Amino acid sequence: MTDPGSALRVSDLHKTVHVGFRRQKVVILKGVDLEVRPNDVFGLLGPNGAGKTTTVKVCLGLMRPSAGAVELGVPGVSHVGYLPENPYFYDYLSGREFLGFCGRLFGLDPHLRRERVEALLRDVGLERAADMHLRKYSKGMLQRVGIAQALINDPELVLLDEPMTGLDPVGRVEVKRIIQELHERGKTVLFNSHILSDVAELCTRIAIMRDGRVVWTGAVDEALAEAPSLEDFFMRVVTT
Amino acid sequence: MNQVLAIALNTFKETIRDRVLAVIVVFALVMIAGGLWLGSISLGEQGRMMKDFGLVAVTFFGLIVAVFIAASLVHKEVEKRTVFVLFSKPVSRASFITGKFLGLCGTMAVVLAGMGVFLFLLVWAVAGDATGMLLVAVLMIFVQLLAIMAVTIFFSTLGSAILASVLGICVFVAGQLSHNVLSLTRLGDNPVTKALSWVVYVVIPNLSSVDVKAGVVGESTLSWGEIGVWSLYLLAYVVVVLALATLVFRRKEF
Repeated sequence: MTDPGSALRVSDLHKTVHVGFRRQKVVILKGVDLEVRPNDVFGLLGPNGAGKTTTVKVCLGLMRPSAGAVELGVPGVSHVGYLPENPYFYDYLSGREFLGFCGRLFGLDPHLRRERVEALLRDVGLERAADMHLRKYSKGMLQRVGIAQALINDPELVLLDEPMTGLDPVGRVEVKRIIQELHERGKTVLFNSHILSDVAELCTRIAIMRDGRVVWTGAVDEALAEAPSLEDFFMRVVTT
Repeated sequence: MNQVLAIALNTFKETIRDRVLAVIVVFALVMIAGGLWLGSISLGEQGRMMKDFGLVAVTFFGLIVAVFIAASLVHKEVEKRTVFVLFSKPVSRASFITGKFLGLCGTMAVVLAGMGVFLFLLVWAVAGDATGMLLVAVLMIFVQLLAIMAVTIFFSTLGSAILASVLGICVFVAGQLSHNVLSLTRLGDNPVTKALSWVVYVVIPNLSSVDVKAGVVGESTLSWGEIGVWSLYLLAYVVVVLALATLVFRRKEF
């Protein structure tokens, strides 16, 4: 925690990986700069392969940066919640067991853990499926239990990678409601999405990435002032 | 510590709910019961045959569980991307490796206890000469397999699950012959051979040092003091190997 004015600050972030037998060099991030302010609902946009997921992974320590820095505005990952893209969870556990397991990883005491698990199961609409093994969950149910596990520690900063993927319209409304509630409770949310109507509806600020760099960042209103829709603005930024 | 226990409990649930494990255990019990037939065709040595054959079956099936499950534990987490859930939380790589190992230890303890008690009751009911030494022998098989599980987890952080399983089995076989390697250090004058033999002796766990199967059938075996010291040696070996596995795993990105 270095900057009290930022919930997350990414400075000149580079990431290079070596793939294949011949260790071919692939540059994924080419100097990403990003600032997420406290209580922002921040949309990280970009075409596939732009480096959105890698940026989030480096922020969480799942990948090491080749250069540059990540500064979390919270005291460590115990105050961060994360939903991975296309999540897969332990299918031999029930929804309730899985959330309890995540609570234990944060060292929550048993009473608080039980309370949080039940409240989150209610919030994401999985009360009736709580004792069903995750292998029997639909994709939408997995996405919802994924969001619940990201919130088990009541995080200050929530990173959601494609949270609307695989959800039916009802599920999308529920996830949007959860994100709005987090915003109202003073939390900071950063999410990646290709569904620009959701981004326009939920986000206070956005950043658009292309080819490993942030090419535009600002408020959603600023983007909408320059184009009739966020989709038009996005297309203009990523194609020019 | 919370994280280690949570991962251990989760690993225990993962492995104990695995249908493949149930199939292996059923096969093991059938094999142990097969000792009845061997005993019936041996003249006056029914109890000895049942114990010998039963302990071999316990070792063999315990080894299968140890290497194949240990080899896949870490890989499954990476391949199915559940590591994202774990390492985005305050979970260190050391907690992960230790938790995985302890969870598998729990499963192995349940599996071996089941097979050991079944063998004990069978020998007691049929031959009437089941002694506590039989259960001590099963406990020592457990200690041997702890080292194999740790080594297999270490190999699984370096390469594929199949390679880790094969190497785990190789270390088990080599560990049974470890005392022979020690004998090599006393033969000849070539310092290179002697040094190499010492290296192999130190790197490969000396599993035969806690083998008390001979004592079960009334032959001379290790004293309690020797069993204790060699068990401590294998536990120290486990700690060192898990520390190495953590060092390797720390370098991985997801």
